[in-house]
Amino acid sequence: MVAKNILNRLCLKLGKENVISEKEDLLVLGYDATPGLHHAPDIVVYPTSTEAVQAAMQIAREEKLPITPRGSGSGLSGGSIPAHGGMVLCLNRMDKILEIDAENLTVTAEAGVITLNLANAVAEKGLYYPPDPASQKISTIGGNVMEDAGGLRCLKYGVTGDYVMALKCVLPDGSIITTGGKSVKDVAGYSFKDLLISSEGTLAIITEVTMRLIPPPQAKQTMLAYFDNIETAGKAVSEIIAAKIIPSTMEIMDKTTINCVEDYVKIGLPRETAALLLIEVDGHPAVVAEESDGVQRVLKEVNATEIHIAANDEEALELATARRMALSAMARVSPSTLMEDATVPRSYMAQTFAEIQRLAAKYDLTVGTFGHAGDGNLHPTVLCDERDADQMKRAHAFFDDLYTKVLEWGGTVSGEHGIGMAKKDYLARQIGSGGVEVMKRIKKAFDPDGILNPGKIFADD
Amino acid sequence: MNIEKLGNFTLDDAPKYEDILQCMRCGFCLPTCPTFALTGRERSSPRGRVALARAVAEGKLEFNQAMKEEAFFCLDCRACTTACPSGVQAGSLMEICRAQASQQQPLPKWQAGFRDFILKKMLPNPDLLETSMLPARLYQKLGIQWLVRHSKLLKLGPKWIDKAEGMMPELHQPLRQQLPEFSPAKGEKRGTVAFFLGCVMTLMYAEVSRQTVRVLNHQGFDVITPKTQKCCGAPHLTEGDPETARQLASHNLDLFLDLDVDAIVTDCAGCGAALKEYEEMLAKREDHQRLQIFHSKIKDISEFLIEVGIRTEGLKPVNKIVTYHEPCHLCHAQGISKQPRDIIKSIPGVEFREMKEANWCCGSAATFSLKFTEASQKILDRKLDNVKNTKAEVLVTSNPGCHLQLDWGLREADMAQPVLHLSELLGEATPD
Repeated sequence: MVAKNILNRLCLKLGKENVISEKEDLLVLGYDATPGLHHAPDIVVYPTSTEAVQAAMQIAREEKLPITPRGSGSGLSGGSIPAHGGMVLCLNRMDKILEIDAENLTVTAEAGVITLNLANAVAEKGLYYPPDPASQKISTIGGNVMEDAGGLRCLKYGVTGDYVMALKCVLPDGSIITTGGKSVKDVAGYSFKDLLISSEGTLAIITEVTMRLIPPPQAKQTMLAYFDNIETAGKAVSEIIAAKIIPSTMEIMDKTTINCVEDYVKIGLPRETAALLLIEVDGHPAVVAEESDGVQRVLKEVNATEIHIAANDEEALELATARRMALSAMARVSPSTLMEDATVPRSYMAQTFAEIQRLAAKYDLTVGTFGHAGDGNLHPTVLCDERDADQMKRAHAFFDDLYTKVLEWGGTVSGEHGIGMAKKDYLARQIGSGGVEVMKRIKKAFDPDGILNPGKIFADD
Repeated sequence: MNIEKLGNFTLDDAPKYEDILQCMRCGFCLPTCPTFALTGRERSSPRGRVALARAVAEGKLEFNQAMKEEAFFCLDCRACTTACPSGVQAGSLMEICRAQASQQQPLPKWQAGFRDFILKKMLPNPDLLETSMLPARLYQKLGIQWLVRHSKLLKLGPKWIDKAEGMMPELHQPLRQQLPEFSPAKGEKRGTVAFFLGCVMTLMYAEVSRQTVRVLNHQGFDVITPKTQKCCGAPHLTEGDPETARQLASHNLDLFLDLDVDAIVTDCAGCGAALKEYEEMLAKREDHQRLQIFHSKIKDISEFLIEVGIRTEGLKPVNKIVTYHEPCHLCHAQGISKQPRDIIKSIPGVEFREMKEANWCCGSAATFSLKFTEASQKILDRKLDNVKNTKAEVLVTSNPGCHLQLDWGLREADMAQPVLHLSELLGEATPD
């Protein structure tokens, strides 16, 4: 709770209906989708314009309230949790799509627009916004940019950050700036917008984004392959890329995950299968036909045990069922799920799977792993119960060991979820103390008083 | 049995902590929740409501006014259950919280008295219930309704009274007294079913259920409608009186299990959902196997006809453009979505047009439409827009709550489409 005068000032500037201070509201705005993390804010505001964001930030600055930006709270690293209390600034009510520019192939939208709504709106105009994080039905585009969200299509189409053309934002000192623009080329000074991508709300608050669009692929082909060991699946991934084919999707699931899905939906998945790959190629029909043949050839060469080809959209959806159900199935069998996003260079994927299996046995844990095989981005998911302190300790030790190996192989501790509160301790291990120091200097340059999203990214913050 | 109190919940009818913990806060429920869409307030979302319940369970929050408000502001439409990856039942949890509210936040005496009179006295007693409708029928028959509606007299009072009056359909003699306990199959006999006749159906939509029985007969089924059946208990669950619900459930369970039938069919989505929940409601009191048998026999009319295969030979064409509104308690609570559409499409002459957001609540939600008239109106408007855009001539649904709300809404909005129950549409196609 904040002092009455702060509340009054905010109500006056933002409108009473855009300020929330009741205990029950604060209680439910102190979490995101990261397990085990919660910290209630002292006040929550819902600005409806860039100027309102500016006004709220000014009051916060004067009253020395930390500010944490929030979209829908679907993040997986605690980025939108007010670790030090203070003000949560929700951007959900800035949810207008401002312009779809078919000539320059861009869409400009307020930061609180839901990702899927943006994708659907541009699709209606015959255009395509490829990034599709799993939470796209509820995640906001601003949140996606702040965390540089990934998704299933990244191998071919890249991540959210690859689509950012321009950002309008409010800096902690209250200035409003726009960085980037609709020009394809732009080398005027520091690439400031790139610095803001994946900054997790620690440098500025984005209020408007301009994203790049592309023409949609005309055709696609979906395939599903089973393997009797995980190494073969890994080999298939490498060989497909080596054959100069870049599928739009290449998703992998291990045996534990397959069995969880089969327990849950009973669609006749072979329980003995060690891994499955869901592969999709898209583009011009002629290219799709050629690449589909190429993929099938590789799958046969490496001895996939079974290959299924979708004859139509309906069958494609059916083939994708198992992958779509992966998280649900695991979430249903256990009270808690600890999902991570360890990412390695693609060629190390099979080793990573082996390491996960070894560590799961060592720490006596059930771990299901699925993820974006083409990107080397895996989601090892520990099925656990947050009430079991000993099990949780083992789970954390498991990830600790795993990340040591992942870093050894030149991987990263977070492919797409961000550092936030959840992985602060790992950052220095990846980028070294020198790297951390530079990041801190950048942070200081933007936010000398440290009021913007404190308690994130840096271990000692 | 668990005898330890869970945080600030009382011992009786408390939620299970595991069920609350199951929420991983992914937020996938948010875009499906009508009350969240309306308010944009996290505490009025499934994720927020579960978080409040968790805070109560962990002793961080008293079971206070806000918790009670959210328990009742939840439409219990179960759209979040369909969307939830990890199987959280936010709707059921809010039902439990309503039961907690009646223990921990009792109503003022006169309100409690009225509530108890309806829930414990009237609803469990079909005879009383039917007699009570007599004044309403007289009110219509004697032309008083005409007078009231044209004088706009009720616009002076609270909104809900005006709305309640406006929603009242043309009333007929309650069906329960008229329907024979046995109606024989026509044509080649395919089996015998029991018919569960809901309270609202018999009182307000007698003609609809008459069609349901007629359709079942024509489809080759003997229909047994026991006269001693009672309310399914759904109103009690939604109003926080699980004990009366359990008593009614036990009565119906015994009654219907004594019958030698292939299925127990209902044409009320709300009843169907409640009947299918007897297994959990009575888990502590009844033999598990009996409950399982009962559960396996409960079928919505559309579910049943698709399972046995609808006989379309001899059906008369119905040359109309039809759209379909999915009752929450059919699509979300029972997972029945495809079957009603398949039936509509199987009627010769019908052109089926899918509406946008067909499975989005209409704002009726038991007594929600009267308790929260304004919120209910906004949810209804969204639905009516979607109906309008289809340019359909007929709006079909299959639940009396939706039926009342939609019928009223269309009239108020000067839209010409009639609302028909699926059984009525099929009845129109069914020859005598």
